[in-house]
Amino acid sequence: MKKSIYLGITLILAASTVLSACGDKSDKSSTETDKTQTATTTDTTEKTDTPAKTEDTPKKEEAEPFTVSLRHIQVSDAQKFRKAILDDVVKKTEADVPGLTIELDGVEDQVNRFTKLPAEMAAGNPPKIFDLFGGAGDALKYAKAGRLLDLTPIIAELGIGDKFLNLNQFTLDGKVYGLPIGGSTEGFFYSKPLFEKYGIKEPTTWDELEAAADTLSKNKITPFAMGSKGAWVPNMLVNTLIGRYAGPEAIDGFPAGSQAWNSPEVVAAFSKYQEWEKKGYFTKGELGLEYADMLNQFVTGKAGMMFDGSWRSSVFKDQAQAGDLTNQVGFFTMPGVPNGKGNQLAVNGNYSNGYGFSADLKPEELTAVKAFIKNMYSEEMQLRGLLEDGLLPSMKLSDESIAKVEDPIVKQVMQILGNSGGAFSHFDSTVASDVYKESESQIQKLIAGKSSAQEVADAMQKVQEKALAAAK
Amino acid sequence: MKSTLKNPYVYAMFVLPTLLLYCLFFIYPMASSSFYAFTDWNGLEDYKFIGFDNFTTAFNDPDFRNAIVNNMYFILFSVFIQVPLIIFFAILVGHVKRFQGFYKTTVFIPSILSTSVIGILWGFIYEPEIGPLNKLLSVFGIDPIYWLADTKWAMFAVLATNAWQWMGFYIVLVLAAILAIPREVNEAAEIDGASGRQRALLITVPLIRPIISVVIMLSIAGAMRVVDIILVMTKGGPVGSTEVMASYLVNEAMGVDPNYGFGTAISLIIFAFALVLTALYQLTLGRNQGGND
Amino acid sequence: MQTLLKRTQPAIRNRVAVPKPVKRVLPHVVLMVYVAIILFPFIFVVFSSLKQSNLEIAAHPFGFPTKLYFHNYVEAWVKAKIGVYFWNSLYLSLSSSAVGVLLAAATAFALTRMKLLRTSKVIYQFVLIGMLIPGNVLFIAQYMLVMKMGILNTHWALFLPYTAGALPLSVLLIAAFMRNIPTDLEEAAVVDGMGAIRMFLVLILPLTMPALVTVFIVNFLGVWNEYLLANFFISKDALRTLPTGMVGFRDSFQTNYALICTGIVFSVTPVLVLYAFLQEKIIEGITAGSVKG
Repeated sequence: MKKSIYLGITLILAASTVLSACGDKSDKSSTETDKTQTATTTDTTEKTDTPAKTEDTPKKEEAEPFTVSLRHIQVSDAQKFRKAILDDVVKKTEADVPGLTIELDGVEDQVNRFTKLPAEMAAGNPPKIFDLFGGAGDALKYAKAGRLLDLTPIIAELGIGDKFLNLNQFTLDGKVYGLPIGGSTEGFFYSKPLFEKYGIKEPTTWDELEAAADTLSKNKITPFAMGSKGAWVPNMLVNTLIGRYAGPEAIDGFPAGSQAWNSPEVVAAFSKYQEWEKKGYFTKGELGLEYADMLNQFVTGKAGMMFDGSWRSSVFKDQAQAGDLTNQVGFFTMPGVPNGKGNQLAVNGNYSNGYGFSADLKPEELTAVKAFIKNMYSEEMQLRGLLEDGLLPSMKLSDESIAKVEDPIVKQVMQILGNSGGAFSHFDSTVASDVYKESESQIQKLIAGKSSAQEVADAMQKVQEKALAAAK
Repeated sequence: MKSTLKNPYVYAMFVLPTLLLYCLFFIYPMASSSFYAFTDWNGLEDYKFIGFDNFTTAFNDPDFRNAIVNNMYFILFSVFIQVPLIIFFAILVGHVKRFQGFYKTTVFIPSILSTSVIGILWGFIYEPEIGPLNKLLSVFGIDPIYWLADTKWAMFAVLATNAWQWMGFYIVLVLAAILAIPREVNEAAEIDGASGRQRALLITVPLIRPIISVVIMLSIAGAMRVVDIILVMTKGGPVGSTEVMASYLVNEAMGVDPNYGFGTAISLIIFAFALVLTALYQLTLGRNQGGND
Repeated sequence: MQTLLKRTQPAIRNRVAVPKPVKRVLPHVVLMVYVAIILFPFIFVVFSSLKQSNLEIAAHPFGFPTKLYFHNYVEAWVKAKIGVYFWNSLYLSLSSSAVGVLLAAATAFALTRMKLLRTSKVIYQFVLIGMLIPGNVLFIAQYMLVMKMGILNTHWALFLPYTAGALPLSVLLIAAFMRNIPTDLEEAAVVDGMGAIRMFLVLILPLTMPALVTVFIVNFLGVWNEYLLANFFISKDALRTLPTGMVGFRDSFQTNYALICTGIVFSVTPVLVLYAFLQEKIIEGITAGSVKG
């Protein structure tokens, strides 16, 4: 159950090597990986392609056309960089496997994760390749039900088994059922022009953060952009608040039964959320706003800060999406809270979003899946993800590659990770689905002022206890 | 000689395809629902029988009770607000001479459109910052209302959209009945000195009672069935303020933590409600109407 | 009724109190307001679809676009695959309504014109039970059924439930119509040695045409607008129908209202055009259907 802590640490280790690479190219702290990686990079894809190709050659003559369905979540403009990478991988894979057509099906993230995929999994007809989240409520649940393809032999065959920084959220009984596409942390983005205008410094302490929010609020600027129609959005902030008030261990403690939701320290986290809510620190009408609206609030200058995942950073270098805020955004982690438990520098760290594959594959589909994995999980694509999309790599990259990072936010994120000394994951990947579902309805009740922090915490604990009892 | 119309094989050929399809998609699902409603099947794992647990869970869940109440709002709103308005407008259209066809055609338009498109359309109308409704209200100095985000307003906003979609349909229905009233009846009343209002209330309304009763019945059935508009506009939110039984069913059975057993139990409950309402209706309003056909 | 009185009183009282010309104009004023409420969203959407961005919409929500910006149309067509959704909806609606009408007509023929009276009565009652079951009650069970049949995520998963779902009402309506056809005709036909099948196709079907058209239109619009099943039974983009495709489109471009409005225009226009040509028939068909139902 210490999985996610371990996970966070790998993220941090990765980031520190990254950082050192950024700082000094001649640093050989990770020589071992360095060599193997540079080898692959110099060879690029040409050579690594050959084994797979020879395998496929006999099939070429009798190449029956077939299609493989692929569900992705890169549907909005904000994800166009990631979509471009996916498109290239698809093209490459189709070229690699004779007869193959990959049928792309884009579905909005939340709809896919919380509506479509669960229903398809229950029905036993998921797409062949699909966007998948790690953790107890997603990948592990489906793996347990035998719906996911065991990838252990495939990644061993492709020689990438040991390249991943962390596969814990996709690993069940030593077998790997999904591959994360990148890593991320959640923290505050802020608008530099607005901060400058009101004389606010990037907050490093809790008091500074609340003072910043207060200043913005007094100037009729929403301190924190928020879109709570999808409850996972406010839950990001809730998660990190819990990580601060109850300590990084709390997130794994919930499903283990060692941390009660209604303990004073978790209640303190909910209370803080409620306090901000009452002070009007979040966007008005947030319960009617989607995730995309939150970004919109932020880039149009209606809000000064936004709590979001580091994956959002690529938006802020794109003029078309960020407008006047292009390259004018900073990122900081949540400062330590007064009387918080545990390491107050710890950060949220996730390697949870990636791809999973249906257990129900025909031989030719399996070939396609292998080719897809080979093309998607390569140093080249990982680096493109980092450079173009600002997504932290999920695989080990060479220092040389990482040194190419220029995006200030990505650099800042890496710095934060390097300094953190510990990490915690998101409770959406540690607790069971029914508990997570309750957290969604409870946080909205808190936002609407229908429940107090204590009531929310009690309700959560009740469902958690039921889940614990059921697990026994 | 008459054998061809008595031939059971020919008869079967005419009837069987329909019966097969009907049994497969009506009777069998209903029967299997009654079975799964007593299990905890989630599609992923093996199920076990849990007796009436699903039903007690449902009625113990404040969210479900809230959904029932919201369904009642739908019914009350349709019957006591929409229906009078429908009759009012139908009488108005029925008694004008010019533009009657235009009114009829126009008011009917929303009812041929897809509910989901209407949901999207009205989502924009209600948009708090750039939506036209708040822009219009701001002319009168009214602060932005967060129509779909405010637990106080969301239900009303959905009800209004639903009314916008369906009122025209019923108006046309009632209008057809009004136009079928023999002209002489009204003319006679006019000669007797009855005012427009008296004619409307004392002559027209009683004469169109059968169709009003049909409209009420259809409104109730529609209110029990409502789900598309909710899924598209609010998904039952914010905080369950627009959740109805059917959207609760969809969210529970197909949502974050799918549970088909629970979902089918909910559908049986909805069915029971529908039956009770139909029976109540037949015993009260529907009684003295006789057959409508 | 109490509410009705309160609601209707003011307007009608005015009509009584004021001089004639005003009295004649007043209903038109009231109706024009209603028509404006119906039409306003459409005009607003068309205007918005031609504006460049949310900023322009926010700045002049009610104004005509400063510069016609047609780029949205190109973008929406390409990004939303509205053509694909439109085609899917069209052929599902056409095929399912056509098959449904045919099956229902055949059954109604057997039930009303063939001489197996006792069987007919039982079957008729049995089919009518289906009318008591609200559609969404069967939703989960039908989902499990199509899943077991292995047709989930194919158009069959929609075609079969759609066709089946329309059967009870269709049989009821067509049977009611067929009962009123005089029996002399087919008695003569039987004497001429005409078989039951030919009698159905050549004699009865043409006579039943008005009822068939009604049922076809009702079913067509039902399928055309269906959202719930389409949303959950189909998850491939290429198979989506217009209602679900539009919702997916909205989910992807949430904050780009100009583009979303373009999507709405695309999805609504064909229906409106169709309506413009067929409005008499559609209104007639649906009113007839609902009054009977």
